[in-house]
Amino acid sequence: MNTYYAANLLIFAGVDVIACIALNLQFGVSGIVNFAFIVFQAAGAYAAAVLSMPPDTSPDYSFQIYVGGLNLPFPLPWIGGAVAGALLAVPVGLVVLRNLRSDYQAIALLVTSIIANTVINNARPWLNGAAGLALVPQPLQDQIDPSTDSYFYFYIGLTAICVALVWFIAARIVNSPFGRTLRAMRDQELVATALGKNPVALKMTMFVVGGAIAGLSGAILVGFLTVWAPSTWLYPETIILFAAVIVGGRGNNLGAVLGALLVPVGFEEVTRLLGRLDIGPPNFIPAMEWVLIGLCILGFLWFRPEGVRPEARRIVPEGFESGVRVVGDLD
Amino acid sequence: MNILIAAFGFGLVSASVIALAAVGFTMQFGITNMINLAYGEVMIASAYVAYYIDERGVSIWIAMLVGAVFGAVFSFLINRLIYSPFQRKGTSQLGMVIVSLAVSLMIANIMLPIVSYFPVSYRERFSNLLRFGDIALTVNQIAIIALAIAIMAVIHALLRYTRLGKAMRATAANPSLARNCGIPTQRVIDAVWTITGALCGLAGVVAALDSDSFTISSGAGFLITALAAAVLGGAGQPYGAMIGAVVIGLITELSAAIWSPDYKQVVAFAILVLVMVLRPQGLLAKRGAAAAAG
Repeated sequence: MNTYYAANLLIFAGVDVIACIALNLQFGVSGIVNFAFIVFQAAGAYAAAVLSMPPDTSPDYSFQIYVGGLNLPFPLPWIGGAVAGALLAVPVGLVVLRNLRSDYQAIALLVTSIIANTVINNARPWLNGAAGLALVPQPLQDQIDPSTDSYFYFYIGLTAICVALVWFIAARIVNSPFGRTLRAMRDQELVATALGKNPVALKMTMFVVGGAIAGLSGAILVGFLTVWAPSTWLYPETIILFAAVIVGGRGNNLGAVLGALLVPVGFEEVTRLLGRLDIGPPNFIPAMEWVLIGLCILGFLWFRPEGVRPEARRIVPEGFESGVRVVGDLD
Repeated sequence: MNILIAAFGFGLVSASVIALAAVGFTMQFGITNMINLAYGEVMIASAYVAYYIDERGVSIWIAMLVGAVFGAVFSFLINRLIYSPFQRKGTSQLGMVIVSLAVSLMIANIMLPIVSYFPVSYRERFSNLLRFGDIALTVNQIAIIALAIAIMAVIHALLRYTRLGKAMRATAANPSLARNCGIPTQRVIDAVWTITGALCGLAGVVAALDSDSFTISSGAGFLITALAAAVLGGAGQPYGAMIGAVVIGLITELSAAIWSPDYKQVVAFAILVLVMVLRPQGLLAKRGAAAAAG
């Protein structure tokens, strides 16, 4: 149990918590099945990387080539990552969310995710293709030596601040009248529309907010890993996050946090432990983990669609006409 | 111009492969209301079944038949054991998309330790080259085109002239009305999954044969092209899927000739996006991807 291991665990947990809260805002609260979620995290990671890296002056046959290379000081790349996630959400949202049925939206986003990965993987000039970016500068590495324990504590602190910030924003959204409108749209889109709410505008807003948070999570991840490549953001990564939100309890931020700790973090730890055993052919254990994640999704959707921590039922207070909200549309 | 004419020939082959896959996919959606994202994985599983048989020295055409039977049985079982219970439980369309994605992930990862990452190819992937002017196709490729045309004719006859086909169309149009008219919709749906599963398995073997070598990760690409063709034609419309397949097959091969073969799927995706923006209901559809009023 050394500091490096603890830092690894905590920072990954923080990133997963942030990502799950963002996905919960989109999927749990607003009903957008964003199968391209990981693309927004990747956009944030790439943006943060090229904003913080030095200008690419090496010749094209060197080990990596990239655009940007602005060499910006610390908080700017992370902000840039969030902005990149938000900016990417605008065109994708405009194509997907406007006039498609919700199940088509889901498959269109899934296809977007697969294709985005193919394009970045094959196109070397922008972001170094399949090999990906390496030697990404870490935040404030010229002030604190990144190989020391104190840097790990510093990075854990930074991650914790971001988690708190994201939690605060998400809680404000969920508990506000705006959040109520989102839930109304998710449960009864036609009724919300009839009451004068614009579902496309609402979904676009949440798509951009979620994209920004996803971008931030990518920026945190790349600052710690210092590498980022297409193989780290294949579409099944999105499914893990979906599994987390479904297991934790969709619509409930606390559920999303719990899901993040149970599914991505829990599975990571299980692999680490099981990896020492030598069972079956190579890649048997990781493959079985994916099967388990699939079973987790099916099992929860079948037996407990509301998740471990179900969304609180919000009852209209006394004095209003008493009515019970229609709960859940996925089961 | 020669290269374009040659690419036209390859486009016909691609169109045949895509048509086999897309018609099965779109029928599943049209009749059972299921966007089956595990379709690509069933295709690749069937391709591997055929590969193991082909490896034993059996002719690829017999292996293809076994692949189709495997696809039929596998799809039938997936529907009976997973999709159908979830649908009966009242899971929403969106929930079913998530379920099928989870199933897809599970199939891929159950296969992974068995088949591993390495690309494989069939023994008979090379065959004699025949020339028709500038178009040069192998005997296999011509057989694929002929097979696709024959299967499309069979599907057309099935939907048009048989009792089962009529029952399928009735079930697609209005399942509860069909049931009330005495059509055994459950059996019809079983038949649909078996037939489309056979198409899916056949398409998997054909696609694998056409692409020289394949790996476990080829499934996603198969799915995307089938999806693009189905959506372009109007989801749920078998004839639309055939037209969509021809359009996508020709355009991707021509773009590969002009631009780069790496981006075939990207071109298919670009067509998909254009359709979703400009004509979400697809070329032929009455319903399709356009948002319903509610």
